[in-house]
Parts: sequence; structure tokens; C-alpha cells
Amino acid sequence: MTKAFGHFTAVDSLNLRINPGELFGLVGPNGAGKTTVVRMLCTLLEPTRGTATIAGYDLKREAAEVRRRIGVVSDGISLYKDLTIEENLKLLSTLYDLPRDVGQRRVRELLEMFNFQEKSKRLVRQLSTGWTKKAMIIAALIHDPKILFLDEVTSGLDPQSAVALREFTRNLCDQGVTVIWTTHNMQEPELICDRVGIISEGELIQIGSPADLKRSVSEQAVIEADSPALDAITIEKIRDLKSVCKVAYDDPILRIACMRDENEDIEEKVVNVLVSSGARIRAIGKKDPTLEDAFISLTGGEEEIDRFIEKGRERT
Amino acid sequence: MSRLKVLRDILAVMTNEFGVFRRNRSAIVISLVVIPFFFTASLGAGQGGAGTTFRPTAALPIAFVDNDLSVASGRLYETLVRSEMFNRLIQGYREDNALAALGKGSIYAAVVVPKGFQDRLMANQPGTIIVYVDDGAPGVGNAVLSAVNATVQTYNPTTEIPTSTYVEVEGFSTIQIVQKGARFSGFALGLTITMSLVIVFATFYEIAGGMSREREEGTYARLLISPISLGAIMIGKTLYDLGLNIVRAIVVLGMAIYVYGARPNTDFVTLLAITVLISLLTMGFGLLISSLGVGVRAVVIIEFFLILFLFAFSGFILDKELMKGIPQIIATYLPWSYGIEIFKRTVLLGAPLLSLTFQLQFVGLSIVLFYVLSYFLLKLARERLVG
Repeated sequence: MTKAFGHFTAVDSLNLRINPGELFGLVGPNGAGKTTVVRMLCTLLEPTRGTATIAGYDLKREAAEVRRRIGVVSDGISLYKDLTIEENLKLLSTLYDLPRDVGQRRVRELLEMFNFQEKSKRLVRQLSTGWTKKAMIIAALIHDPKILFLDEVTSGLDPQSAVALREFTRNLCDQGVTVIWTTHNMQEPELICDRVGIISEGELIQIGSPADLKRSVSEQAVIEADSPALDAITIEKIRDLKSVCKVAYDDPILRIACMRDENEDIEEKVVNVLVSSGARIRAIGKKDPTLEDAFISLTGGEEEIDRFIEKGRERT
Repeated sequence: MSRLKVLRDILAVMTNEFGVFRRNRSAIVISLVVIPFFFTASLGAGQGGAGTTFRPTAALPIAFVDNDLSVASGRLYETLVRSEMFNRLIQGYREDNALAALGKGSIYAAVVVPKGFQDRLMANQPGTIIVYVDDGAPGVGNAVLSAVNATVQTYNPTTEIPTSTYVEVEGFSTIQIVQKGARFSGFALGLTITMSLVIVFATFYEIAGGMSREREEGTYARLLISPISLGAIMIGKTLYDLGLNIVRAIVVLGMAIYVYGARPNTDFVTLLAITVLISLLTMGFGLLISSLGVGVRAVVIIEFFLILFLFAFSGFILDKELMKGIPQIIATYLPWSYGIEIFKRTVLLGAPLLSLTFQLQFVGLSIVLFYVLSYFLLKLARERLVG
């Protein structure tokens, strides 16, 4: 599928197959095209070219059938804030054509499952961000969808709720629900997804299990240093070191991806650069590459560092 | 999709709209109380009511100058006093004194009976009285003229004078108010426009603003990803708003009839039918505007211009037939002006609704056009509306 908005191609020739019951992670930086993919798959946007088959139904020709079988949690899709969660669910169960008794039972089950009974009479606008998110998940599940789209679903959730939600999603998949989990947080898919697709600038650049993706950067080593307030010149010096592939700095954590080289102790060289620049080193060590490293390696996440260095140059 | 499913969807959307409305107290107060009351009360204050219950002129000092000194003029004085609309009608002023006193606050108007008043009536000619009003007191002129008008309807000079005789009221300066055809007060005339304005004012914001808000809050996208047709969404919202407009019409009419004494020359069902027509017209237009993907703020601006257009081109200030050039073209093609015309002809003249074929066709076609256009535009603009 391709989706273009005028001259801008948001999603370019996306081609993938997601298996029933699979928990598929679609990861990519902001603006990579993840939400556009979800919006196409949930029939809100029509692909400029191509189509998709969802639960056996063609996205373009059988959109109504597709809608019956999907549930969506995404930022642009909300509940009525002036209604209670119970009223919202009642509306949805009518729209999804659930028989009254089935609808009532389903509402009861879901409210119970998410510990929502006490809050079921509260207006959605009175709920906290976390509870609102939960309410939206319940709403997406009301009709027992075969496919669930969870778009940046843990943003705004406290860590406990995020963990609980990940467990819940995993259980859903075990029950046969297919979940497409989009996020820009690299740790989540590593923890729960069966497979991950990395999308950048509208293109799907890699697909595989988290382990596969990490292996794809196995020739790399990662040095992680805890060194606060580094300046742009120091980071540039590190980047200029032989064997260094990528440098990411999120004060105070400096992550350096470099090629493994038996003849060279890159860690020592990094320490030397930092010491000579007068930087403080609180900790330093080698780590195995994570999915995030694979992601940075594949998507060229160095751009952020380039911008940082550029700003440093302007200042000096 | 089965018909039953469509009906259930329509009902669900309508119930949902009422559910949201129920929770919004300020919307209830503004939409069902403030707007209908404000418009109707403004009309009442401006026109002085149509019946005997509301008497804005009762406490005003008004001079009665009798230059005819006849039985008929005496009976006119008695009629005015008995109406209880002129409890401070002062005799003894000469015409020049009364004119000099106007504008100084001692009197607010002067009713002058010219010499020859009785003779004209006896000769079966219209008798004329002149009403001078204080231009410095806004609204007083209309109120006094309206009250005099309403009162002289019951005037019976003497048993010797034929009953076909009537009295004309001449306004200040060169304006002469001549009533043609049916006799109705400024209030009754204003009521027709007030009804339309109340409906248009509230309906347009409810439908176009509601859609824009749904779009901005993401609930419209929620509807679009569920298996409900666009038609069901449109009809559900339409039925909800029709319900509100019927309540509004009852509030305005109730107030006009029981507080200001209005006497519409038509039945309640006709009034509701016209309300439904104007509501549908405005809703169709509102849906059309919302299909353009405008925000709530833009809706408010468009509403302002819509109301302005209605004021200017729907006969509120000047009748369509009296306009010239571009204003007349606008008035001719503005469907609401036909809605108001239907109101006028039924409420004021008592014309049967179904006899107004051209006006009904124009409004009906406009409704169909607005709804069909908005349906296709909403379909086409689906991506833009949820993007």
C-alpha cells in the first residue's frame, strides 16, 4: 500500500503479512508513517495505491466488513467525553449490532476485567489519562474484534498500567486476537512482540523477530557511558574515532555503536577523549546491542546527533 | 445492511446526541431557554406585545389632543383608556404644546384627533388620527403605535356609523402607517421572523458546530471506524435537532401567545410543520458547511454572517419585493426568506400551508440539495475530516 498526501508520500509501497494471533510491532520515529498505516488499515484513510486484506476482507471493497472485525485505539479516535464509559459502550454495542444481552454481558466483563466497575458511571472527561486510555481499550474490545490496532497506546500510562496492558495484550494474542502495536518506544516491542517491522520515512525497512533484528547488528558493540553535560565538540571527536558507527547522546547517557575489533580497545579511546575534554565519567561499559541499537542502525538515528553537533558549532 | 440495523443506528446516534446534550447544562440553558426567551422578549420589548396581557405603554404619560371635540373623538378617548394600555392618557394639551413637550420627558407621545374626524367616519371614509412619538426614546414609537393599532381594532365610534369604517393611524413626520389586507401588529410580524431566527441561530451552531467538535475531539473518527453508514449518522443528528427545535418552537410560541398575547392565524400543527421545514433547511446547510472541514471557530463566524443575511434579506428590515438590485437577487435565492414567507402567510394571513406551493417547493428543493450535497461532500472529505 502507498499513501500520498499531495506530493508527500507518507507510506511508500508497504508490503507485509501479519499472521492470525500474532503480536506485531510497527516501530519507527515520529512522522515515520505508523499512524498513517493504522489509519489505512482501519478504513479511515484510503490507500493511494494498493490494498490490503484484513481478516479475509478487502479493505477497499468490503470496508464495512473490515470495520466489524477491527478494534482501534489511537490518539485521533476518542470516546464521547460528556458520556460515561458505560453509555459510550452501550452506543458502540448498538453500532456493532450486538444483541442487547450479549452487549450487556460484554460491557460487564470488560469493566470487570479492567477494574472499571466503580468508574463506569463517571463521565469520560472526569477520568485521568490512564483511565481514559483504558476506557478506549475497552471500547475497542467491545465487539470482540479479530484484529486490534494499538497505536502509541502506552504513552501517558504509568509504568504499572503499561506493564499490565502489555500482559493483557499478550493474553489477547494467546486467545487468537491479532494485535498491531505501533510505537516509537523501542523497549516495548522487544518485550512483547512476536515480530517487529521498522518503518522510517514511510518505508518498511526491516522486518523480523526482535532477536533477528538484534542479530542484524551483532557485528556491532555498544559502549554506554554515563557522562553529563557533554559538548558538541566532544561528541564529534568521539564520532571521528575509527570503528565508531553511531553516536547517540541523551544527557547524561552516551551510547556509541561501533564495529567489533579485536585489535583495538575502543572503550579506552572513548575514555581518553572524554577525559581530555574535561568531561565527568560516572560509569562506562560495553553492552549487547538492543532493538533500539538495531533501530538506530537501520534508520540512521544519527541525524539527531548531527543536529546537536550543528547547534554546537553555531554556538562556538 | 438491513433496514432494522439502519434504524437502530439512527436511533443510537440520536439517543447519543441527546445523552451528550443532557450532560451539558449550559447548552440546555442557552439553547432551549436563553435563545428563545431572548429573541421573543426582545421582540416583545420592541413591539409592545400583540394582545392585552403585555402593556408596555400603560404607564407612559401620553397626551390626547382632541381637535374634533366630537362624540366619535370622545369615544376614541374612552376606548384608549378602557384598553388599559394608556393609563396615563392626559387631556388638555394643545397640539403645539404637546409637540413642544415631546422629547423633554414629560410626555412620550401625543395622540391627535384632527378636526373632521367624526365627519369622515359619518361619510364612511377612513378616520385618521396622528400619533407623534418621542424619537429620543428608542422603542417607544413602535410600542405606542402598536398599542394604538391594537386598541383601535375594537373602536366603535357610535351606533350610527357603519361598522366597515376604520381608523388609520398616522405616524410621526411623513410616515403614514396604512394597513392593507389582514390587520396585524408589529409583534405578530416580528414573531414570524423571530421564530425563524431562533431556529436558524440555534440549529446551525448545533449541527455544524457539533460536527466540527466531533471531528476535533475524535468521536467522528470513532463513528467512521464502526459499521454505521454516513446516512444513519446524518439522519440521527437531524432527528435529534428536530426534537430540540420543536421544544424551541413551543417555548417561543408559548411565550408569544401567553405573555405577549399573540394570536397566530394558523393551527399548532402547521406551525410545527414550518418549524420542521426551516430546521431541516438549516441543518442541511449546517451539514454542508461541516463537510468543508471547518473548525468550531469558523462555524461561529459563518453563523454570524448567516444571521446577518437573514436580517438583511429575509424581510426583517425590508420586504423582499421592495428590494432592488443585488439585495433582491440574494433575497430571491435565499431559501430561508421563503421559510419566513411561509411563516408570514400562515401566521399572519392564515393561508393554508399546502396552498403555498412555490415557497414549499423552493424550501423543499433546497433541503434536498443541501442534504445530497453534504452527503457526497462528507463522503469525499472523509480523509480530510479525520486527518
